[in-house]
Amino acid sequence: MKLSKFPYLVQKEILDNMKYSDLFLLSFVSKNTKKLIKSSQITRFQSIRHIMYDAIVNISKNDRTIADKRFLGILVKAGEEKIMKTCERLDGTKNVYFQLNVAGKIMDFRLFEKFKFLEAHFPLNDKESAIESIHNYFLDFFGVTADYQWIVKHPENFIPRLPNLSLCFCPDPYMVRDRKILETFFASHPVMKHINMRLDTPEPFSPESKLYQAESYRGSTERSQTVSAFLRHFQGRQAALFFCDCEISELIGFMNRWRSGEGSQKLEYLDMRLTRSRHLKEILNANGVKHIDASKTPPTHTVPNLFTLPPAHTPKMSPITSHSYMVRDTDNRVASVSVQGD
Amino acid sequence: MSSTEQGTSSAAPAEPTTAPESAAAPEVPESFYYVHGKDKVVHKVSAGALQHSALIHGMISNLGYTEEQAKANPFPFENIDGDILQMVVDWCNQHKGKPTPPEDTNLPKQKEKLFDLVLAVNYLEIKELLTYCCKQVAMMVKGKSPEEIREIWMIPTDAEDEAAEKEAKKRAGKEAAGETAAAAGDAK
Repeated sequence: MKLSKFPYLVQKEILDNMKYSDLFLLSFVSKNTKKLIKSSQITRFQSIRHIMYDAIVNISKNDRTIADKRFLGILVKAGEEKIMKTCERLDGTKNVYFQLNVAGKIMDFRLFEKFKFLEAHFPLNDKESAIESIHNYFLDFFGVTADYQWIVKHPENFIPRLPNLSLCFCPDPYMVRDRKILETFFASHPVMKHINMRLDTPEPFSPESKLYQAESYRGSTERSQTVSAFLRHFQGRQAALFFCDCEISELIGFMNRWRSGEGSQKLEYLDMRLTRSRHLKEILNANGVKHIDASKTPPTHTVPNLFTLPPAHTPKMSPITSHSYMVRDTDNRVASVSVQGD
Repeated sequence: MSSTEQGTSSAAPAEPTTAPESAAAPEVPESFYYVHGKDKVVHKVSAGALQHSALIHGMISNLGYTEEQAKANPFPFENIDGDILQMVVDWCNQHKGKPTPPEDTNLPKQKEKLFDLVLAVNYLEIKELLTYCCKQVAMMVKGKSPEEIREIWMIPTDAEDEAAEKEAKKRAGKEAAGETAAAAGDAK
């Protein structure tokens, strides 16, 4: 059966019915095949929102990361579709079946038997260059419209500095709790685009911490002083705080700063889940909060989710529907204000 | 499964047998048409079953043939092998007036038969069957290494592609030179 003997539309239909991991494997067969995939799958590839380089953290007895293994996958409606796995060869063994040219670099691969996708093997000292080649191949193949996310699960994880690669910090809360270690981590690396971590350090992070510069933050933030510092200093677009404690006055202060254009200028979505009832409906009577006639249908505010970790795939943040809203003095931007379950 | 009778190469096709129809008798008598492939075996197929094929449906929709005229003028598909056309006719009969299931497991497993079926179905514009076939073709390489895929789909290497491209350019150059020489000869 010669694929090239089929008319283009048939070839396209065949490729349309292949998973990303199989298209990726197919792309290595020849330059012309790669061209065919890219040209026939433009729309499909352009619809990819997130490509994730997800870390599989191995911890040794002395609590140090010993290897950086990663699953590279695409977030689709059903969850994550894995495309390949990368492994550092620690013991120097050569457990390899074939070589492929990855963006000009000849690399060792085998088929990962369990899921039938590619597994790249490279020596530790060649890691940087191997990751760079894989990333370049991805950019060329899937295009630059997707958000390529490098997941950092431990402050000692390898962090490449490559174009079109967002850094996402998602540490295991039981492994990384020391604020000083985290402060040092944030200070010594570029800004993490997305952070998914538990913030329960007794002392809040310093106002200059790059933690607050993340585009999105999600996690439990229990102590009121940490929540307060977060509300004052966070400069990103989306935040979801769970199990948090916060005084009403602090929330009203945050709303006033937003309304006057003094703080949180880029913020487009904030979801706070409080552990204790604080008569939150009081904030709906705060200065500057306006109300739509109760008989009218309230508007619904939805925004795309900037960061979602597999296996959950939530393309949008929970919609906010409310009769209450505020208007920012500086640019007339409107924010819905919703309080539930008080 | 539709029954057929061996056709001959003569202009008048042999009397075919009727394909089994669904249990519910239609209120209006259904019209039938006749098709044959490379082997000249004539298949009698109802207009309802042929609706799956956009090509044939387009051909018959304005014909207004009587039963005799249809029988005397079977549609010739000389580019389709007889056994492949038989498969297509069977599929159209089985799925006549029914919603198509998400999968079809009755497609040929042999590579070459599937290849011929894909080409026939594409030519006859049977969208659902083409989708099933393409899914099956895609499944052939699932989880295979690039070298295995190359073998299954007979994909040339980069070196072979380059050599073919060079050869094609050389041929085109020669043809162009030949045409120029011929034009110069004509001018003299």
